[in-house]
Amino acid sequence: MGKVIKRLQNSQGLLSLMGLFILVLLSSVFSDRFLRVDNIITILRQSSILLILSVGLTGVVITRGVDLSISAIAAFVGCTCAQLLKAGVPIFFVFIIGIILGGIIGLFNGFLVGKLKLPPFVATYGTMMVVSGLSLIMMQGAVIYGLPENFTWYGVGYIGPIPVPVVAAVIIVGIFLVLLKKTTFGREIYLIGSNHNAAVYSAIPVKKRIYTMYSICGMTAGVAGLLLTARLNAAEVAMGDTFGLQTVAAVVIGGTSLLGGEGGPVGTVIGALILTIVVNIMNLLGISSYAQPVVIGVVIISTVYLDVVSKQNRVN
Amino acid sequence: MQNPILSAQGISKRFPGVQALDKVDFDLYPGEVHIIVGENGAGKSTLSKCILGAYLPEEGEIYIEGKKVSIKSSKDALGFGITAVYQEFNLIPYLSVAQNIYFNREFMSKIPGMVDMKKMHEEAKKILSSLNVDYIDTKTKVKHLGVAEKQMVEIAKALSFKPKIIIFDEPTAPLSEREIEAFFKQIHKLKAAGIAIVYVSHRMHEFDQIGDRITVLRDGKYIGTVRVDSISDDELVKMMVGRDVSQVYKRTENEHTGEALRTENICDKKGKVRNVNITVNKGEIVGLAGLVGAGRTELARLIYGVDDIYKGNVYIKGEKVSVKSPEQMVKLGLGLLPEDRKGLGLALKMSVAWNIVSVSLRDMFPKLFINSQKISDAAEENIKELRIMTPSPHRIIKFLSGGNQQKVVIAKWLNTDSDILIFDEPTRGIDVGAKMEIYTLMDKLAAEGKAILMISSELQEVIGLSDRLYILHEGKIVSESKRGELSEEEIGLRMLTVEA
Repeated sequence: MGKVIKRLQNSQGLLSLMGLFILVLLSSVFSDRFLRVDNIITILRQSSILLILSVGLTGVVITRGVDLSISAIAAFVGCTCAQLLKAGVPIFFVFIIGIILGGIIGLFNGFLVGKLKLPPFVATYGTMMVVSGLSLIMMQGAVIYGLPENFTWYGVGYIGPIPVPVVAAVIIVGIFLVLLKKTTFGREIYLIGSNHNAAVYSAIPVKKRIYTMYSICGMTAGVAGLLLTARLNAAEVAMGDTFGLQTVAAVVIGGTSLLGGEGGPVGTVIGALILTIVVNIMNLLGISSYAQPVVIGVVIISTVYLDVVSKQNRVN
Repeated sequence: MQNPILSAQGISKRFPGVQALDKVDFDLYPGEVHIIVGENGAGKSTLSKCILGAYLPEEGEIYIEGKKVSIKSSKDALGFGITAVYQEFNLIPYLSVAQNIYFNREFMSKIPGMVDMKKMHEEAKKILSSLNVDYIDTKTKVKHLGVAEKQMVEIAKALSFKPKIIIFDEPTAPLSEREIEAFFKQIHKLKAAGIAIVYVSHRMHEFDQIGDRITVLRDGKYIGTVRVDSISDDELVKMMVGRDVSQVYKRTENEHTGEALRTENICDKKGKVRNVNITVNKGEIVGLAGLVGAGRTELARLIYGVDDIYKGNVYIKGEKVSVKSPEQMVKLGLGLLPEDRKGLGLALKMSVAWNIVSVSLRDMFPKLFINSQKISDAAEENIKELRIMTPSPHRIIKFLSGGNQQKVVIAKWLNTDSDILIFDEPTRGIDVGAKMEIYTLMDKLAAEGKAILMISSELQEVIGLSDRLYILHEGKIVSESKRGELSEEEIGLRMLTVEA
């Protein structure tokens, strides 16, 4: 038990966990509907796609990078796969193609950052523009809807009482936990983020690791795009826009430092939940959707501020 | 004799869990260079920080010119004429030299809110020329200056406060031999001007040249104050570490069995390394001496695959290899311990254990999945073997002292199968005790049959440990000598000139 507490103290996520707890407490005081099972399931479902995107991003941020293109990748994969489904390609292959497509775009990001040494922020912003543009060309302003039911099940269906996207998110978080914390690959990712040059001198194949991490991030973005399309039962160019920089916010709120080398998927789960709950409780309380971004912004700023302060305290 | 300008008596300072200073006495006379020595953690910097007002001692009194004072902040210290030049520079790279010297105390012009630039540059120029460094343009941005010049700007900044006491903390650490010589001249000038100097340093061979008296601290305790000319190096080391050190550079006799590493006319693209031929045999420690900038580190980077070889060949155990990357060289059994411990050697945010296994991780767990217990165990073993002072393998490495950090860098390589190790400045900035442990370890590794190439700026250690010694000058090997073949002076001369 003592060991668990100690690990929690050392983990970056402790503060965000406390934040989440307080948020849940306050929300249940403000609204008696908040803690109802159906509402909790709604929250989980709403957070699941943000979470899948953000967990992939977490790995990239740990390398001291960032990937701004993931929501554009999700939309691109969603649009492409919707077209493939319309053309009658079997669902299994659509999933495979979607994930590979995401992986290839991710690899391109990895190439820009790892090989050409471009700053990740600019490189992936560029990729975002390119990918969004490709979606526009492909879709010509159209919206694709009315997808096969056995495909939309992945977005709206349930396994027992649990929505399918939630199950998918849990599995992906689990995979990332193992990948980042329990494999040599993961530990080398942390080393690279902590000190890039020391990683080179420690004979870690830094470039390969960066390629791989961005590719994996692109693949999770592909999965997110597929699930989003299934859930909306439609695909259009702007479908990823709501996620935008929220993914980065979820990662950072979860205590993963943009300076790399620390943090992890558990924090990101908390970050994504916090962002989703804030919106959920505002909806329950009937707060105008015009006012909601103000509150979200304040939540992001204050959580990150608390994290910075607590890190300074820890150093002293 | 005059009265001391500063006298500290019975100074004690506690930090959680450590008695950093325990009733330490220290006095300082005008025009004197008073050296403070001791191992890391002996309390040197705590003492200087108490004098500077950065720490408030719990016990003891400080007298300045006979008057009892209380120094609560660096502002107080400045008021008493005390200032400091730190090892790590506090200059702002994008401001000019003059702006740095007068940072936050600019001369105001008659127009409100405007700075009188002309006067600032004039005053800065005066100080620089009093230091004989008028070649530094006061308008240059600091980022364009070399390390030695930055050092001079720091000193100029300190002098601009018109201090009576200047505290130097390891001032020569970033400087090359030539720059150190120039720096000592400045110290003598300051002395002649009656300024009292507190000089915190590890570098014993410098003490004769500049010091008047030495105060030795050990584990926060005052051991004694001696005159520089009345004590030998061995006696001083004994005071510092508290035990006898007759044989600092003890080497085990062993056979050198066959070639481990050889370079054949290797060059880099920038011309920093030119047609270098060196050989390191198994069981041998080979020294590589030379001035800073002679190309020693560059050579190591070429052999290790960090930089691209432009021309020439590298042979590992007699076989020609085309050097591509550190990963490849590590697989071939080569390892490099870089000189810049914090920048290149360690991931400071991570734990001791993760750093220790960083090179060997993939060998320990070839099947991708790791076992944390196995990592802790491996780290524990290294911690015990190398006597790394850390409360646990999970301690974040930045909280360890320099000597212990260096041991972690060594531990990284002990966990690999490397049988050729390049040590680049393995003892830079670490205390005498840890140095000797590292010497012993290198000797042990050589005795086990490993081949060691040692790059060092400390002549004594590189001469003391090496079986053979190469001297590099402007990228070329200018001398190869066996142990004991050349005197320290001859080696020093060959480092400076090609014709020796």
